[in-house]
Amino acid sequence: MSTTSILRFENVSLTAQLPYTLDLAEVSFELDAGELGLVLTGHNTEGLPLADLASGLVAPEAGVVRFQDEDWHALHPDAATAARGSIGRIFDKRGWISNLDVDENITLAQRHHTTRPAAEIEAEALAFAKLFGFDDVPRVRPALLRPAELRRASWVRALVGTPALILLEHPLRDLAANSAPPLVAAVQAECARGAAALWFAESFQGLEHPRAVFSKVWKLEGARLAAAKESA
Amino acid sequence: MKSGMLREGLAGCGRGLVAQVVRCFASVPLAGCIRMDATARGRYTPRAACRGSMSILGNIGAGWVGTGSTWRHYMAMLWSVLRVVVQPRYWPRTTRNVLARQILFTGVEAWKFIALIACMVGLSIVVQFQVWLTKFGQAQLLGPILLMAVVRELGPLLVNFIIIGRSGTAMAIEMGNMQIAGEVRALDAQGLDPFTYLVLPRVVGAAVSIFCLTIIFIVVAFFSGYLCGVLTGAQTGSPLRFLDSIFGALSQADVLNVLIKTLVCGAMTGVICCAEGLSVSTASTEVPQAATRAVVRSTAALFVTSALVSFVTYF
Repeated sequence: MSTTSILRFENVSLTAQLPYTLDLAEVSFELDAGELGLVLTGHNTEGLPLADLASGLVAPEAGVVRFQDEDWHALHPDAATAARGSIGRIFDKRGWISNLDVDENITLAQRHHTTRPAAEIEAEALAFAKLFGFDDVPRVRPALLRPAELRRASWVRALVGTPALILLEHPLRDLAANSAPPLVAAVQAECARGAAALWFAESFQGLEHPRAVFSKVWKLEGARLAAAKESA
Repeated sequence: MKSGMLREGLAGCGRGLVAQVVRCFASVPLAGCIRMDATARGRYTPRAACRGSMSILGNIGAGWVGTGSTWRHYMAMLWSVLRVVVQPRYWPRTTRNVLARQILFTGVEAWKFIALIACMVGLSIVVQFQVWLTKFGQAQLLGPILLMAVVRELGPLLVNFIIIGRSGTAMAIEMGNMQIAGEVRALDAQGLDPFTYLVLPRVVGAAVSIFCLTIIFIVVAFFSGYLCGVLTGAQTGSPLRFLDSIFGALSQADVLNVLIKTLVCGAMTGVICCAEGLSVSTASTEVPQAATRAVVRSTAALFVTSALVSFVTYF
């Protein structure tokens, strides 16, 4: 398997300003291609800027965030935008464009960044949708889906288009405790293909055999990220 | 962390092309008393701390500098739009789709209302002028006068005005609500630059729609004016003679005048409404305020631009 670095935080510090509410201090970690990392955030972690930092949406006050060995903020804005197109993300909250149907939301990034035929993108989305328990890709406005369905639809969106990095912010929120296996399997398959994934969860709850699934586990302790020591 | 004057108006959408343009403008030093006010989230306002020590003149100056920076911000956005509008790489299918929807909403869905207003304007002008022209025995001048009134001034002005009220507010409110709902951030996180995905197609859509609607307005106003003239017994002559009198009076300056007043003013409307919508940052109560600012500033830009163009073209 390739050991290409996909995401690297180098002593990243950030003082939270709205919309973020949690500071980060000297956060360092690395995710290589094929790795699935878990960040245990604990409770009350709304406003954690880690995923936005990983996407280059916000610049750290100190330190460097590298995506595929490129410093986000040394990239030309157009290059940064294109690079973000290769990141699949499940947003912690919201994240849906309300005047587009869910299926349009799911295929939006691929239609924007690639010239793949729409039918091909839709077929890929349908395959993931069926994997996650949908009969078809939902073709209604996001506001008309129940939170649990919307959460599963966000899984589909994050995985469509062979992303290089997958950011999963609390992907099991609003879902039953036993709903993780299909997502874990799909993410593992993407990692086996060469992607890296960073999973954010409050705890190990809902995750079966996390030590076997995740190659790296960190725990948020105050503003710092430390390697998690407790067993699953 | 996030500095630069355009951040105020494009919170969350500053990493794209606009950011590059604004970085140039942001390097211009501002007056000492104009500082970032934390409560205004980056908007340049006279800071409360300065109030005690600042003279009345200073406050007036601060206000003007603030206004200047706002308009500089709009100009930076307009320049960015003009820079990228002809580059195909900024027009992926998603952006083209937004453009089509914008033209459908701003142009196609508005044409009946525009035609109705044009009809009324044509009738009003004919009724007004017929009385006076008949008194002076100059009824044959109805065509050229319609041209002067409708093509040069009323057409572009009224269409722009209607679109500001109908679509400009909708744009500002939509952008504001998207900001509040985190949709702009979601777009950015997926690599869809909010400037190219949201602003660019709306600005182009507004400009193209206003141009097309103005043409419709002019045609309908002429038609209704002529019809009214015939029905009321004005000596308008045959339709061909009427058209000939209009086209005979049409000059290159008139064409240029219409192009600028529709395309530039339409683009300005799009820019101002999008910028004001995207300036919303935290609360949904900011959305109606942003919409009001968008209407007021778009209208001001329209009238100033219109007057300047008329002055430059015909004086």
